Amino acid sequence: MSADLVRVAVDSERCIGGGQCEMLEPEVFLVDDDEAISSVIGSGELPRDRADVVVHRCPGAAISIVQPQRPSE
Amino acid sequence: MSPSAASAPTLAPEIADPRLYLDSIPHERFAQIRAMPGLAWHPYEDNGFWAVTRHADVRAVSRNPKVFSSAIGHTNLWDLEADALEARRSLIDTDAPDHTRLRRMVAGAFTPKNIRRWEDAVREITVELLDEFLAEGGGDWVEMVAAPLPIRVILSMLGVPVADADYLVELSNYLVEGTSDTQSLPPDAFGNTTELRLLPFNSPASHALFEYGDEMRAKRRAEPCDDLVTHLVKAEADGGRISRHEYRHLFHLLVFAGNETTRTAISHGAMALAAHPDQWQRVVDDPALIEPATEEIIRWATPVLHMRRTAAVDCELAGTPIAAGDKVVMWYASANRDEAAYTDPFRFDVGRGDNEHFAFGGGGPHLCLGAFLARLEVSVLLQEMAARRMSLEQRGEPVRMASNFVHGVLSVEMAPGGAP
Ligand code: HEM
Repeated sequence: MSADLVRVAVDSERCIGGGQCEMLEPEVFLVDDDEAISSVIGSGELPRDRADVVVHRCPGAAISIVQPQRPSE
Repeated sequence: MSPSAASAPTLAPEIADPRLYLDSIPHERFAQIRAMPGLAWHPYEDNGFWAVTRHADVRAVSRNPKVFSSAIGHTNLWDLEADALEARRSLIDTDAPDHTRLRRMVAGAFTPKNIRRWEDAVREITVELLDEFLAEGGGDWVEMVAAPLPIRVILSMLGVPVADADYLVELSNYLVEGTSDTQSLPPDAFGNTTELRLLPFNSPASHALFEYGDEMRAKRRAEPCDDLVTHLVKAEADGGRISRHEYRHLFHLLVFAGNETTRTAISHGAMALAAHPDQWQRVVDDPALIEPATEEIIRWATPVLHMRRTAAVDCELAGTPIAAGDKVVMWYASANRDEAAYTDPFRFDVGRGDNEHFAFGGGGPHLCLGAFLARLEVSVLLQEMAARRMSLEQRGEPVRMASNFVHGVLSVEMAPGGAP
């Protein structure tokens, strides 16, 4: 299992406000109360394996890994 | 019509007959279909469907709404004439961009954070119902706890007076009948004059629910409050972000989906806890198990047995060719017991680890809007039962619904016991 950090992003056009990301990673995602669109809060960094789970679970396919923070060795 | 596969497809055993569901989900038949190569074709009325029964395949269909449409046809098994389809269309039977617009209209109220704000209200209702159940020494769990809890919660969110809860539960019971093989209402019940085929669930109760929604709309227009109906009425007034038709159907959907499903989860949950006292003991002893126990109860119950999609284009799934226009039916009842996705899927285990069940759908854009609300209701109920160190003893067999759509329990006698 890799502990590499990656950075994630939300495509607000595709987001349907399903809240899976906030449920899984409340430190990284927040769904806006009025607009019901998720955005990244803080650094937006997650270990790669956890980022993969969020990407996989997003109902709107709106989350992507935008940048490996560190090249994996 | 015959399926599109070039060679004759494998035929699925009968799983659509509602009577098969009277005693239990026909799990053996589903296991048989899961083991068949590719997808199996299931004849149904004058047009069949592809039976999607494996966890991975349900996921693939759910997450590919461009190919597997909710708007062509609708999301139930049977076919509808074009005018009925339009007359009955709600959020659940739309594709993007209509779906995205409508969904965002209400999604804000159901985010994890906003749902947590309802925790005290949910607890208050739960405590009242549980204490009454205990004071009476038990009774019909469905009538005393499982039905009133979710309907009262969704009605408070919508802004409907508690005094009308019983009436709306009654309407929603009639709606479910529309998916079983009984329909006890005459077509003109509740003063209905609309042709039944134009009403959701073919039920005159839909007419009554629309009327009720219209009355609420008129009231909130005159006197806005801080509730969901006011929010929708504002969206309607404000540049027509939502049409009159859309409002009526959204109100109908929220009342129905907000109570029938969670009621089923709470009914099957109680039966599971009564049948597995060792599992309940674990929850009582360890509050950290409330969350996984909630997920396990919802997986175990699988209140919604299936949803349908229609292929928008020629495509392929599990190696089986599917033609544009074919019906594709995702059986959550089967995916949630798939040996390939769970260790020991038929074991009720409150400590199950990563439980990616599909009771709320397979994960696409239609993923249940009320999932966090349903989880909150089940987990608060478990917390309050654990706090009372009470257990449940089931008295006799439940009365179940003959439906291939809702895993309904009409009544089940429960008596309170002490700590297991
Ligand atoms: C344990 C309880 C519940 C279960 C098992 C359940 C199950 C489901 C399922 C299977 C779907 C369809 C998903 C799909 O097609 O991919 C759905 C959609 C929906 N549910 Fe639930 N539900 C529950 C509770 C609730 C509650 C409490 C509400 C209250 C608001 C609700 C409102 C909805 C709505 C509005 C939709 C349509 C969403 C859309 O099409 O975008 N549900 N639910």
